[in-house]
Amino acid sequence: MKQHPLCSDCEEKVTPMDLPIPSGLKKEWSVCESRRQFLGRAGKVLGWASLATLFGEASFRHVTFASGNNSQAGFGGNNLGLPHFAPKAKRAIYLFMSGAPPQVDLFDYKPNLAAQFDKDMPASVRGNQQLTGMTAGQARFPVAPAHWPFSQHGQTGTWISDLLPYTARMVDDLTLIKSTNTDAINHEPAIMLMNTGNMNSGKPCLGAWLAYGLGSMNDNLPTFVVLQTKTNPKENNQPVSSRLWSSGFLSSEFAGVGLRSVGDPVLYLQDPAGVDRDVRRKMLDAVEEINRQTLAEVGDPETNSRIAQYEMAFRMQSSVPELTDLSKEPESTWELYGVEAKEPGTFAYNCLLARRMAERRVRFTQIYKRGWDVHDNVVGNLPVLCHETDLGCYALVTDLKRRGLLDDTLVIWAGEFGRTVYSQGGLSQENYGRDHHPRCFTTWMTGAGVRPGVTFGETDDYSYNVVKDPVHVRDFNATILHCLGIDHNKFTYEFQGLHQKLTSPVAAFVVQGILA
Amino acid sequence: MSVAAKVVDAAGDVLRRARLIPRVWIGAVCAGVLIVLLPLFFPLDGKPHADWLQFLGRFHPLLVHLPIGLIVLLPLLEFAGTRRLSLREAAGFVLQVALATCVAAIVFGLLLAYGSGEIGTTVTRHMRGGIVLAIELLLCLSVRRSWLAGQQSRSYFILLGVVLITLAWTAHHGGSLTHGSDYLTRYMPPTLKRFLAPSAVSSHPNSFFARHINTVLDTKCVACHGTNKEQGGLRLDSYESLMAGGKDGIVITPRNPDGSLLLKKVTLPPTDPHFMPAEGRAPLTPDEIARIRAWVLQGASPDASSVPGIFIAEDHEEAPPPVGDYSALMGEIRQMQQSQGAKLVPVSANPSDGLILRTTDVAASFDDAQLANFQRFAPFIVEAELGRTAVTDAGVETLSQFKSLRALHLEGTAISGRTLARLSSLSQLTYLNLSATKVTSDTVAPLKSIPNLRHVYLFNTPAEPASAAEIDLRSTQ
Repeated sequence: MKQHPLCSDCEEKVTPMDLPIPSGLKKEWSVCESRRQFLGRAGKVLGWASLATLFGEASFRHVTFASGNNSQAGFGGNNLGLPHFAPKAKRAIYLFMSGAPPQVDLFDYKPNLAAQFDKDMPASVRGNQQLTGMTAGQARFPVAPAHWPFSQHGQTGTWISDLLPYTARMVDDLTLIKSTNTDAINHEPAIMLMNTGNMNSGKPCLGAWLAYGLGSMNDNLPTFVVLQTKTNPKENNQPVSSRLWSSGFLSSEFAGVGLRSVGDPVLYLQDPAGVDRDVRRKMLDAVEEINRQTLAEVGDPETNSRIAQYEMAFRMQSSVPELTDLSKEPESTWELYGVEAKEPGTFAYNCLLARRMAERRVRFTQIYKRGWDVHDNVVGNLPVLCHETDLGCYALVTDLKRRGLLDDTLVIWAGEFGRTVYSQGGLSQENYGRDHHPRCFTTWMTGAGVRPGVTFGETDDYSYNVVKDPVHVRDFNATILHCLGIDHNKFTYEFQGLHQKLTSPVAAFVVQGILA
Repeated sequence: MSVAAKVVDAAGDVLRRARLIPRVWIGAVCAGVLIVLLPLFFPLDGKPHADWLQFLGRFHPLLVHLPIGLIVLLPLLEFAGTRRLSLREAAGFVLQVALATCVAAIVFGLLLAYGSGEIGTTVTRHMRGGIVLAIELLLCLSVRRSWLAGQQSRSYFILLGVVLITLAWTAHHGGSLTHGSDYLTRYMPPTLKRFLAPSAVSSHPNSFFARHINTVLDTKCVACHGTNKEQGGLRLDSYESLMAGGKDGIVITPRNPDGSLLLKKVTLPPTDPHFMPAEGRAPLTPDEIARIRAWVLQGASPDASSVPGIFIAEDHEEAPPPVGDYSALMGEIRQMQQSQGAKLVPVSANPSDGLILRTTDVAASFDDAQLANFQRFAPFIVEAELGRTAVTDAGVETLSQFKSLRALHLEGTAISGRTLARLSSLSQLTYLNLSATKVTSDTVAPLKSIPNLRHVYLFNTPAEPASAAEIDLRSTQ
């Protein structure tokens, strides 16, 4: 055979069979190693060797404790030393209002704005801020006061929009943060920043950090569950992708598990026809055996996650149907959440599931509700959005409270940024739109670790700039971690040569003023 | 008694010697009389006088520490002087300077009080203390001569002791004037505080006013608006006087924080001449203002125990006592964590925070017998998650041995509540969840004897109160 001019080694000249080596070795060689196998393996070895040097020990450290974290161990089973101190909250429920709710219309009461209707917002208020492409070209920035009246509620006398009658009822339990602010002005970077502490994808989200650091409290359910609310096609739904509940550089077993709202909550969880649970068990055992061999061979931490996930799926075969079976809920549940909660995929249904998961000690539940991106027709859309979510939020908090779960559960309500006080597009007495606004937005928390009935932070007369006690997204996340017993500065993971953390890279501070 | 007798003796000695050295004594007596008469030149009438008086008077705090230091130094020098004669010689000079500066401090102090128009018992006491101190120093000066001559060896030291006591008493009143009367006790450990009888300021010692409003007023306001001084005719040392107001009218308008003069004054810009607290005293913190505002908004009640929106950590939690170190059992605990059964989970990385007994994964099969197996870990278990387990009334009896328990979850179990009375031995217990059990209002009644129990959840039980799902045993007691 003619040798290729670029091939440096001679194909036919020497084989191991010709070498003066023991015959046993020659035999073994002939059995296991073809040229193709050898090259393939050699390539992998090189790859692994280079990866190993790139990652240092870090990539292999998982192998030893990736599964340890996911047991209930606390610090007993891992080396993280978490929680750093006795936590107030053992779990958290995050109600994520994707699209950014308008704080001016809901929480940030500005009675002086009524007189400013259709007047230009002073340029000094905006300063040198760069606007989005959607309003940067606008000739003027007319002030659009909230279309709905506000009234005072609770013994704290907190002002809440009449659009949120149920939220208003529990206002004495809430910690309102009016001074939340972020760096990003567009949805994707902002929602990534909110969830992962970084505008670029690839970093683990809050839930993944918690799953990694605190581990599971229930071996039969995922540590971190994501519930998506069915979209309303009439609303402006910004995409919500699995990047938001990704585990980033952490092992993928810490990623959020999405429960579907339609059909089976988890796909392919049921045994296929003709396969009973014993057969499934045997099959899984065999797969696990193979996976363990692979793990021993290549040491890829992802293999470990795969083993853990197969096992979790097996256990979820019984635990998830039990979780989503609402037939035993007492009548009082439906009185509280409304009959809408019987329909899978509604916000109220997800809130009810969140409560059921809190009872079953799921560490972190995140509910996404899309559609808050009201660039136009605020008057048409906002009442619908409020109607869809207001009762659910109230029912969840009230239900947790009466069942004694709010004592160790933190509930968080937030969007990715706020909305402008000036109207996007035409402003009339009947309608207006609001553009993205990163400089201030209102969020709330309630439950374990935070101080009830407090309004924290202040904005200026135009709900445009924070004038007192700013809470950056990083501070917000640091505070959440604090409530769960974690010092955000100590909770790090070595990756790409950095001690990565949820709140890096700029210094973040726990908001002491809202802590209980 | 004996001290007084000795002072009289000493005075007698002094008089006897006065005949011998008349000139020195005439001078001393004249100076003493002048000092005693000083207040007559500056009668404290509660009215401010010329500004230059106050200008000079404000050097009083600066000056006053000089005699204090010298007086404390004096006995040290005298004692050390028994070894080294040069120190004894120095003591004489120190005494003279102490007397001179003491008199100067009195004069400046009087200028301050007279100029600013401060009155009150503490002001008067502080002034009298200063004058008595000066007289005592005069006596010291005279007695010291005879002591050096080898006579009255003890009376001089007794006199020095009296001087030190007077000094402490006077200085304490001076401190109370500048820093507030609770300056020393404010951050005292609560155990010590209880030992010093509590200051009975209110007929409702547990009210929000007594715990959180009165304490703010006490530290920040009472120094000028109290028994010591009554600036602006306003006293803020009791609920009644606070509500009564001062010369400018009432200072608290219930339910109207924005219309309340007190809140207006403390929220003025600090540069404003009407800003309170005046004269550079520590302003109220935003937290304290928020407390007062919320309290006024709620109606400025003297007896309400809590105010919504105001959450004060120390009301809710005294740090629980640390549990012992369970490190010795850690091997066993780890093994348990890897097995299929119930688990013990550390609350945090800090072992003294204790362990959580977690049964979530095996709840259905976790029964009284298994619970009993955990008894030897009992001292370290601060929380028992027994919701939806097979634990029964007998298990509750076992739990009464878990003395460190702070939170106990029994929701969804088959307990009837028959044995709940046994839990009264759990002095640390603050949280008890009995939701979805068969307990009745009769069987939960004994829980009232658990001192720290704050949150009892009775949702979905026959005992559920009609109005609220959670009963606050504290308030029903």
